[in-house]
Amino acid sequence: MTWTDIVFWQIVLGGMLRLAAPIFLAALGEMITERAGTLNLGIDGIMTAGAFAAVVFAHMAGWQAGLLGAAAVGACYGALLAVSVIRLGANQIVIGIAISLIGAGLTSYLFQLWQPSGQMAIFVPLTPTWKVPFLSDIPFVGPILFRQNLMTYATFVALVVGIFVLAKTRIGIVLKAVGDDPAGAEMRGVDTALVRYVALTLGGALMGLAGAAITLGVLGAFNDGLTNGRGYVALAVVIIGRWSVPGAFAGALLFSFFESLGLRAQSGMSFVPTELFSILPYAMTLLALALTARAKIAPRSL
Amino acid sequence: MTGRTTDGVATELARILLGAAVLAAVVAALVWLAGANPLAALRALVHGAFGERYLLAETLVTAVPLAIVGLGVMPALRTGVFTIGSQGQLIAGAALSTAFVFSVPADEPVVLLTVGFMGGVLGGMLYALLPGLLRAYVQVNEILSTLLLNYIAGFALIWLLKGPLAAAAQTATPRSAPLPETSLVPSLLEGTRLHWGAAFVVLLAAGLMVWMRTRSGLLYRVFASNEGLAARLGLSRPRAVVTSFLFAGATAGLAGWLQVAGVAHTLYPSVDGGLGFGGILVAVLGGLRPLGIVLASLMFAALTTGAQGMQMGTSVPAAIAVVTQGLVLLIVAIGLQRKKRTA
Repeated sequence: MTWTDIVFWQIVLGGMLRLAAPIFLAALGEMITERAGTLNLGIDGIMTAGAFAAVVFAHMAGWQAGLLGAAAVGACYGALLAVSVIRLGANQIVIGIAISLIGAGLTSYLFQLWQPSGQMAIFVPLTPTWKVPFLSDIPFVGPILFRQNLMTYATFVALVVGIFVLAKTRIGIVLKAVGDDPAGAEMRGVDTALVRYVALTLGGALMGLAGAAITLGVLGAFNDGLTNGRGYVALAVVIIGRWSVPGAFAGALLFSFFESLGLRAQSGMSFVPTELFSILPYAMTLLALALTARAKIAPRSL
Repeated sequence: MTGRTTDGVATELARILLGAAVLAAVVAALVWLAGANPLAALRALVHGAFGERYLLAETLVTAVPLAIVGLGVMPALRTGVFTIGSQGQLIAGAALSTAFVFSVPADEPVVLLTVGFMGGVLGGMLYALLPGLLRAYVQVNEILSTLLLNYIAGFALIWLLKGPLAAAAQTATPRSAPLPETSLVPSLLEGTRLHWGAAFVVLLAAGLMVWMRTRSGLLYRVFASNEGLAARLGLSRPRAVVTSFLFAGATAGLAGWLQVAGVAHTLYPSVDGGLGFGGILVAVLGGLRPLGIVLASLMFAALTTGAQGMQMGTSVPAAIAVVTQGLVLLIVAIGLQRKKRTA
């Protein structure tokens, strides 16, 4: 199968949606955090912790427990950051770096206790794949959009809910007010600290789920360093997408398109080194970051 | 100016003790979770870091690149440029110095060491130039650009080690050929891996201490608090940003060359091994002061080599070092803030 084949592109685009799930969920979590005027730099460590928790809990009690466990662990990290920054007033950049270290280190530590090196890797079943009746029979786009893993559909739902909540509900308006004009929001009776606690904790839960989307949506097992910096990519995607939900989704698709292309093209284009394909998604993200950087529309109190 | 009363000292001491107690409790709980006795583990850790001449030297071997990277990012962090790209710059320096050493048809140590040094510094600077320019002229967030570039450098290194820089012999994992004997940084302590690169730590720390007292050092300090004033005094924003990036890149690249020519003697994909990131932590924990950075890098290095000893002696995975480093950073960041508030 080569790149001139229509099936090749079908697989690439289907893979793109599947690989976009972890990045978009993490980016959504970061966006909620930043919209409230705070920053979570520990995103990659929280994703790692979520990815591991998902495997452990799924191994014990099925994928539903895996998702819950990942979200809970992510929420704990988000809350830890919230307490350190809001209650104790520490620098959020330094705390974010500390959390990314703790997330990666503690996960690696627990992983080695759970599965001492040299032992067979523990695999868990992926979240179920669901074929939407009729829709999945549409030529070309059907299999891409409607023969997907549960995590991908969850991403679609998160996209729609995210857009709706931010634009149309009181929750969204309060969140944006706290990020843009905390003093004004406080004067109107909004408890800004509470909003930030909730945003950071919910954001952390989404980052944990993003980790679960890697292990339960794609790999089926945990290994050290499996995020490969996707947390940082999610952070970039928030900026590229200009703090909007559809923008973050588009940014996630940009990264995952080149990631998926790389995975497929390695078999079809053996004359290009595989590392070049590994570099491409990161280079494209950096390029997009450079092209969109001039627009200054970040939440004002960030 | 009444902060230094006995009362102030007592609360500060109490704060430090509280932080240490929290840290000890969490780490002890983790060790206990691994089925080991925390006291026995602590003994194994101390022995692993300082117990024998060779182990002590290994701690110093790890501290050297940490201190060099940390001292290198110090001016940038003081200037308000949050570069996290030392990992990529270290890799670039290691790769370019290796390429230089292999491509120069010379056999004299003086030539090869000079060429290797220049390759390291130049590689690191070139790799820092892009995020520096992007920050200075297009306002690209430097935290993100440098993080992305770290991953790009990691993949590019593997490609180099499979292609242009690959060892002549077939190897299971990608790596370069061993460096020629004449290009290696001389050993400082017989029978250990400690090398003369340690001298760079002393030079850099002393140089930075002097620099902080010069007009240029003062200008950068002014820049951090009042950009407009610094610009009127001759230090524009682009210049401050790009210069501090280049300095950070040069030192990280230097550390990269030392890791190849002084420690491993072969370029492996794992040349960074967390040193780039660790160096930045050390800079923050050292309070962005040269002596503090050197002390913090010794502490971090002791923790790393000690944890490896502990892993061999007990059932505790060495990853406990990373957890501890993260916890230390967390507790110190919170503690510093409390101090500022009560002061």
